[in-house]
Amino acid sequence: MLDIKNLHVKLEDEGREILKGLTLSVKPGEVHAIMGPNGSGKSTLSYVLAGREGYEVTDGTATLKGEDLLALEPNERAAKGLFLAFQYPIEIPGVATMQFLKVALNAQRKARGEKELSVPEFMRLVKDKAQQLNVTQEMLKRPVNVGFSGGEKKRAEILQMAVLEPKLCILDETDSGLDIDALRVVAEGVNALRAPDRAMVVITHYQRLLDYIVPDVVHVMANGRIVRTGGKELARELEAKGYAEYVEAAE
Amino acid sequence: MADQDTIDLVKDIDVDKYKYGFTTDIEQEFAPRGLSEEVIRFISAKKNEPQWMLDWRLEAYRVWQTMVEPTWAKVSYPKIDFQSLYYYAAPKAVTGPKSLDEVDPKLLETYAKLGIPLKEQEILAGVRQQGEKSTLDEEGAGATTPVAVDAVFDSVSVVTTFKAELAKAGVIFCSISEALRDHPELVKKYLGSVVPQGDNFYAALNAAVFSDGSFVYVPPGTRCPMELSTYFRINAKNTGQFERTLIIADKGAYVSYLEGCTAPTREETQLHAAVVELIALEGAEIKYSTVQNWYPGDKDGKGGVYNFVTKRGDCREAHAKISWTQVETGSAITWKYPSCILRGDHSRGEFYSIAISNGRQQVDSGTKMIHLGKHTSSRIISKGIAAGRSDNTYRGLVSAHRKALHARNFTQCDSLLIGDKCGAHTVPYLEAKTSTAQFEHEATTSKISDDQMFYVMSRGLSEEEAVALIVNGFVRDVLQQLPMEFMAETQKLIGISLEGSVG
Amino acid sequence: MTSAAATAVLTPAEMAIGTPLPTRRQEDWKWTDLRRRIETPYARGAGVADPSRVARLIAADPLAKLPLRRVVFVNGVLDRSHSDLTGLALKDGAPALAEAEWLAAMNTTLEAQPVTFTVSGTADRPLHLMFLTLADAPAAAGARVHIDVAEGASLQFIESHRGIGAYLANPALTIQLGKGARMDRAKLELEGAEATHLAVAELTLAADAVLRDFTLTSGAALNRQNGRITFAGEGADARVTGAYLLGGAQHADTRLVVDHQVPRCLSREVFKCVMDGDARGVFQGKVIVAPDAQKTDGKQSSHALLLSERAEFDAKPELEIYADDVVCGHGATSGDLDHDHMFYLMSRGIPQAEAKAMLIAAFVGEVFDGVDHEGLRDVLTAFAQNWLTAHKS
Ligand SMILES: Nc1ncnc2c1ncn2[C@@H]1O[C@H](COP(=O)(O)OP(=O)(O)O)[C@@H](O)[C@H]1O
Ligand SMILES: [Mg+2]
Repeated sequence: MLDIKNLHVKLEDEGREILKGLTLSVKPGEVHAIMGPNGSGKSTLSYVLAGREGYEVTDGTATLKGEDLLALEPNERAAKGLFLAFQYPIEIPGVATMQFLKVALNAQRKARGEKELSVPEFMRLVKDKAQQLNVTQEMLKRPVNVGFSGGEKKRAEILQMAVLEPKLCILDETDSGLDIDALRVVAEGVNALRAPDRAMVVITHYQRLLDYIVPDVVHVMANGRIVRTGGKELARELEAKGYAEYVEAAE
Repeated sequence: MADQDTIDLVKDIDVDKYKYGFTTDIEQEFAPRGLSEEVIRFISAKKNEPQWMLDWRLEAYRVWQTMVEPTWAKVSYPKIDFQSLYYYAAPKAVTGPKSLDEVDPKLLETYAKLGIPLKEQEILAGVRQQGEKSTLDEEGAGATTPVAVDAVFDSVSVVTTFKAELAKAGVIFCSISEALRDHPELVKKYLGSVVPQGDNFYAALNAAVFSDGSFVYVPPGTRCPMELSTYFRINAKNTGQFERTLIIADKGAYVSYLEGCTAPTREETQLHAAVVELIALEGAEIKYSTVQNWYPGDKDGKGGVYNFVTKRGDCREAHAKISWTQVETGSAITWKYPSCILRGDHSRGEFYSIAISNGRQQVDSGTKMIHLGKHTSSRIISKGIAAGRSDNTYRGLVSAHRKALHARNFTQCDSLLIGDKCGAHTVPYLEAKTSTAQFEHEATTSKISDDQMFYVMSRGLSEEEAVALIVNGFVRDVLQQLPMEFMAETQKLIGISLEGSVG
Repeated sequence: MTSAAATAVLTPAEMAIGTPLPTRRQEDWKWTDLRRRIETPYARGAGVADPSRVARLIAADPLAKLPLRRVVFVNGVLDRSHSDLTGLALKDGAPALAEAEWLAAMNTTLEAQPVTFTVSGTADRPLHLMFLTLADAPAAAGARVHIDVAEGASLQFIESHRGIGAYLANPALTIQLGKGARMDRAKLELEGAEATHLAVAELTLAADAVLRDFTLTSGAALNRQNGRITFAGEGADARVTGAYLLGGAQHADTRLVVDHQVPRCLSREVFKCVMDGDARGVFQGKVIVAPDAQKTDGKQSSHALLLSERAEFDAKPELEIYADDVVCGHGATSGDLDHDHMFYLMSRGIPQAEAKAMLIAAFVGEVFDGVDHEGLRDVLTAFAQNWLTAHKS
């Protein structure tokens, strides 16, 4: 599904290298967790995959289902099935959430040569998913993420994911800022999307989320590289020992 | 704690008394009254200037004669008779910078009255040598950071301290007259390169008749080892003061410079038309702070200094930075816009200002941030406080030229009104000639809230003390930009400036 | 066809006798060089236009389908045949303009036929003044309208400005809102591409009057609007908004003075300016608070969105305040589209052009949303959509 080979990325402005030869391979149906200390480059990785400007890829490749991701515009990547749940979802005043979702969904369907959804079809779809995720009608009436609490933003991200039904989901610290109940709701939403033809990359700082979304593979990232890979028991080990040894080793 | 100082000070003050309003009786030498080519030749000859300097002055004079006084500022004053002024006055005893021993003790007395920080007075008076521990320091506090001082008395620089130490670092800090004699190539190269002779009416006048001022050159990669400081004082009657300051920070250099100004209490107005030019080359940084406390005139608007000043910095090369900080409490009229030309890519300009007006004072001050280079950024924080029957105007321009891609500016302009007989005005100009420029400007005008006053007074402060306290909070963002040594002094000054503003 | 009545040809200098054309040295004209812009002479008045052409132009008005009371001015003169005047209190003449500026002087020089509308009670339908200018040769026309909204009365008022040819339209409007009166005003400046639109609007609010004012500026090669809102009675409330949608080499300059002469009034101004191509937008807003106008609450903001690297925006948000117990402020911003917003929308699959259109619509949407009349709001939204489609770059 996702193949990243020897990815080197630097900041366009500062020229500082953030990803220093990262390699990662995720197969359909798998859930991978990436854990690592703050500043290790986890968000950078997710942004580069989603196509945010400001980063320069100096070496390496990233493909989605064999197709070169890095050559595509962000919207083309989305249409190919990539979805990023942002660590910090962006507020967009003046753009209604429902309109935004509908335009996004239909743009993706159109790009894939699928039929666009009618308004009633779309409304039904969103209503169902919103209910599962405790997203109220009132929230849907507001502009995109405007006036949402931290937890509401994260739930709204998962709602978008559920509506857009991507093939590769990247969740960047979706657990941060959530209380235990909200965490459970979000995790259920994510688990409901687990499917044989869908892969997930769950980025998290803490092991807590992985109690609910049980990963197949756990990676440790430090200083712009994957420094260790293991099974789900690795997450517990990290919880107990911390990242110190990896950070030192990576420096 | 500092706020307590302010309160104590306010308590001690005689209302309507300008602390610095004494005159010093020293024999003066004057140029003939009025302005003419002859007077300019006289000034130039007095200073033994090279021919090119005289020619430069005469050219400025010719341009000035074709110019008219600007009227766009929100200030009004009777027409100035430029022929009734003296353009050159010098203490007779000292015709040029001398060593400390030779300085007239009356001048030293003057510095004391000027409120030059005690530690510096020690140095000025020769009590303490550079680097020696001050007797004024608290035990265990260690040696204080030295401050090199240049004092300009009417038209002439009378003393410059710490020269030797600075010379060791390669820093040149002297009067402009000395610089003309010892470093003519530097002066010739940079003088007028930021503020040309014909830049504006007052700048042209200054270029024709400027008497003295400070010159600073910091060589490449050098961090100036101490604060540099100049005290300006107008003493003689009917005298215009036209000093010129030129500061050059060569590649990678850093310098912090502070000027302080006072003038005696006189019924007649005094004219001050200075020019300051700053040049920052690649990666250099200049921090320029001013505490301006010229005589503001009495409560009916009689007397006071007309302060018509042109200050401009040029971030000439990439990654240069110029920061202006000003505390304007004095002068009858202030007309002053310290500006930055952001020519080098990634260069940065800053302007932090506190302008306090009381009585009949008129302030029209602000800045210009001219973005020419790519990725240039600027920041403006202006705090205006109007009291009494004064008018206080912020006037500022932020412009990004077509090629100033990704220029950024943030401006915050706040005005505070104390009493209902004063005016506070905000006149910003924004010019964005490229979509990639991001400008953000915000301004507010309000009075001190009744709730705040009530709260503070319920803790036992008088109305006047409460105002001083709240105002000090209002200007905090700017105060913090001042060199440490001057923060406390400035807080006191704010208290003094606002006295008599309530009740 | 314009009739031959357009006789006297005026040079720019003659157009406003006794008041020379402003120069850029004048503070208010810093960013608009009228001397360079008005080079060709204009005929005084565009004469009488062909009725069938007028009818066609009326039918093409974006507001034509709304149930409004339509009153048409052609070439500055009231066109009774195309107007619905039954039951309207209308008389000839209008008070003199307060402002002595060039724009006002010019309107006087053009010798328009001034009319005054008086409104009492609540009008049955919104009043739509449709200003049309048709000129085959460069001609200047200036309508002069006064609207007097009596004490307690209320009026929804829409003016639209359109035309064909290289004309100069110079409408001058004065509005007096009586005690407790209310006006919802919307102005649509949709002049022809070669036109020059130089407008004066002076509004005075008596005690407790309420004004909701919106201006769309999207037509004309050159636009200058001098607005003045005067608070003459306590407790009045004015919300003034505007949107620019400019492209090509268009130039629009709004000078808006909000004058708080009395205590306890509230003013809000929000301008959203979108400039594409080589367009240049200028906003000069001034809030004046007179001595004794205590408890004034006056805020102003202007925001520019520059869609092309060559577009320009100049702003001068000015405060002149002589009373201390006030809360006043302004904000101004300029920039291109927020890159984070663009990335977020695109990361959800929305193509760049569409994402851009959504963000621009959201940007001006804030001021459209304040328009009370639903039909008009829909017209505005549709207009913005069309504009965006035409300016997709
Ligand atoms: N757009 C950006 N601009 C500046 N610095 C950035 C940017 N993106 C990432 N960085 C820097 O890259 C490093 C890695 O950050 P990030 O990818 O957010 O790490 P993580 O998500 O693992 O905490 C940090 O030093 C961060 O400051
Ligand atoms: Mg992160």
